[in-house]
Amino acid sequence: MNKKNIVLCLIISLSAINLSAQYNNLWIPDTLSGINFNLNLVDSFAQLRPGNQTITAGVNNKFWGPTLFFNKGDTVHMFVHSYLNDTTTIHWHGMHLPAVMDGGPHQVIPPGTIWQPYWKVANNASTYWYHPHLHEMTQEQMSKGLGGFIIVRDTQEAALALPRTYGVDDIPLALTSRRYDASNAFVTTNCSYGDYMLTNGTPNAQVSLPKQFVRLRILNAEIERSYNLGFSDNRTFYIISTDGGLLNTPVPVTRVLLAVGERIEIMVDFSNDLLGSSLDLKAYNGGFSLGFPGGEPATTGEFGSLLNNTTFSVLHINIIAATINPISSLPATLANNTYWTAANATVNRTVNVTNGNPNGPPFDFDNTPFVLSNINNTVILNTIEKWTITNNNVFGHTFHIHDVEFKIISRSPGTVAAYEDGWKDVLYLPIGSSATFVAKFDDYADSIHPFMYHCHFSNHEDGGMMGQFVVVNNPTAINEPQQAAKDFSLYPNPSADKLYISLNDPAEEVYYIRINNAVGRTIYMLPRPQFQNGIDISNLSAGVYFLQLTDEKTKITTTKKFVKE
Amino acid sequence: MKGKIFKSCFALIVIVSLIITGFVLQSFRYKTKSVIGNTISDFTLLNVNGKGISLKEYQKAKGFIIVFTCNHCPFAKLYTNRLNDLNTKFKALDVPLLAVNSMDTVIYEDESFDKMQQRVKSEKFNFPYLHDAKQTVGKNFGADHTPQAYVIWKENNEWKIKYSGAIDNNGEEPQKADPFIANAVNELLKNKKVTNPLTQSVGCKIFYRK
Repeated sequence: MNKKNIVLCLIISLSAINLSAQYNNLWIPDTLSGINFNLNLVDSFAQLRPGNQTITAGVNNKFWGPTLFFNKGDTVHMFVHSYLNDTTTIHWHGMHLPAVMDGGPHQVIPPGTIWQPYWKVANNASTYWYHPHLHEMTQEQMSKGLGGFIIVRDTQEAALALPRTYGVDDIPLALTSRRYDASNAFVTTNCSYGDYMLTNGTPNAQVSLPKQFVRLRILNAEIERSYNLGFSDNRTFYIISTDGGLLNTPVPVTRVLLAVGERIEIMVDFSNDLLGSSLDLKAYNGGFSLGFPGGEPATTGEFGSLLNNTTFSVLHINIIAATINPISSLPATLANNTYWTAANATVNRTVNVTNGNPNGPPFDFDNTPFVLSNINNTVILNTIEKWTITNNNVFGHTFHIHDVEFKIISRSPGTVAAYEDGWKDVLYLPIGSSATFVAKFDDYADSIHPFMYHCHFSNHEDGGMMGQFVVVNNPTAINEPQQAAKDFSLYPNPSADKLYISLNDPAEEVYYIRINNAVGRTIYMLPRPQFQNGIDISNLSAGVYFLQLTDEKTKITTTKKFVKE
Repeated sequence: MKGKIFKSCFALIVIVSLIITGFVLQSFRYKTKSVIGNTISDFTLLNVNGKGISLKEYQKAKGFIIVFTCNHCPFAKLYTNRLNDLNTKFKALDVPLLAVNSMDTVIYEDESFDKMQQRVKSEKFNFPYLHDAKQTVGKNFGADHTPQAYVIWKENNEWKIKYSGAIDNNGEEPQKADPFIANAVNELLKNKKVTNPLTQSVGCKIFYRK
């Protein structure tokens, strides 16, 4: 190498170091709280790297969305208005709610439509999230940035001395990465991994954290990548919460594996750090064996990435002065959870990971690719079931089930790690292993709208690695003989403000109301609407509309015309 | 298919990745069937002023800048001033600009003809804004995003596509952008070959009715 080249190399490597030190302040999502939540889904663009802007989508925002604060026991009403250029769905990940409110692949929101699900928050205090779930479009829409956190609070958690000043000592972290093409557009096909980290949508993120105990709520919002998280000085930190609630006691670790869809809340003690000092939260993803999601050594191609099989920073942390009333200790006990055991289960099910081999069909369960019209399982309401998921296949996966929080009771080989020994809705299923969980399917029966179970790698889910189940009151309900449609009338008609529904049979319950305009465009999607005080139509423009009412019991739909003045 | 997975052979991946290292950048680039050189037949579309417009009406035109755009796409909206400037500059040189909206108006209420008329007024378009109600023109060009630009040029009394892709390469910061369209038209006006005939358009997807 001649002198000129050496100098050139030096300049390049120095500028590379300089570039890597260019941190951006971590974006903390805005918050929404109360019982009514307005979420506007929008196409947008963001300056994520030098040059052209990246086409994104967000919720009330350019990328990602607001953090929703729910109180356990409240009935929350969501007003999801899609201004997107495409149909979508919004799934409330981890929430226990009626299937028709769940936002899975069946609750499709067309462009321009307002979807109004609501439910009583039954989940324990923890960190949940919302994201699109439109079949075969999930990877693309999640990659664009649609999603957000849900933080549930309850009295049990509130009674503990835990950090909970959002954005100060209680920080949400959505970890993901993206690949960009030559025009700075996200690559969303034939792409399992990103090449560049985005932490809450921030490239090269840094945050200032106070010199005290801090709580990080970490979500793996990736396509496929798992994160083996730890701090750059190998300090011990404490897992306090899993997907569905607080652990009974904090679990000390120096590393924790977080797979796609999983959340953990950790407590980390910065009280002994020097003011102005820095450290990194890193993914120690090097050295894993075959099947670890993100362990492939390739740097390019469908299964390659610049971040694969390496250690990289997910958040640079700068220590600042403590707050006025800092949390200075870790509670010894957090909760008194009692979990279902295998002995409680009256139904056993098995799910096997199949296919995904070269030149064969993509990954699926039990050799049955997902079909929207095919119900794979029927669960009787209030049953406690034991599910064993087995992966004697070619790669690791995560398994997520809707409707319930479950308890992992065993793993083979090995045992259930202490940090996942709590309520979960996603589990990591390494290659050559099986996991068994127990869950109770209570409160919500619906023979029409199913819940999903799937690999949470969105490319696998889009490829058909998903199944669905209905929860029913009793097995005969599904094949009830057809009954005559029940009649209703709308008044006043025409109406300018509110539209009232008069049911001929006062005992009738309404499953769904859909309001379409004269050309058939859906304006409102109202699952199990609370229509007794009228439906607000004041925002509709004048014209002819059609109200489709679906009966709860028979699921028969009847349509009536009305005029908006 | 997206879910078609092959991960079992790491050694192979390593070897293949080493072999293809030299082609890495290429694999990231936009791959599409090139439309450059395709012939575009004349069309008649309704302009926002209520009159139909065809290419043949522009008897002096050497070529056209055809831009597929729409009302609601935030990225397309960034380009209004640039489209006005392009039309001002190149219409005088007999290369007028025509904007076409091929979005599905049944699904996207914001793309209605009424809303197109409102937008032309509020944003002072100085070029025709044509409604491709049947989406045939968009399909003929192969337009897939808004904004997506084409330059077509008259050769032997036929209209040939000479450029396809983005208007430029920076939506929000025009001063930093490489003006792809202007470069292509300037080259064509000098009877030169377009140096950079194919770029990637980014923005909102155009969904076609089947």
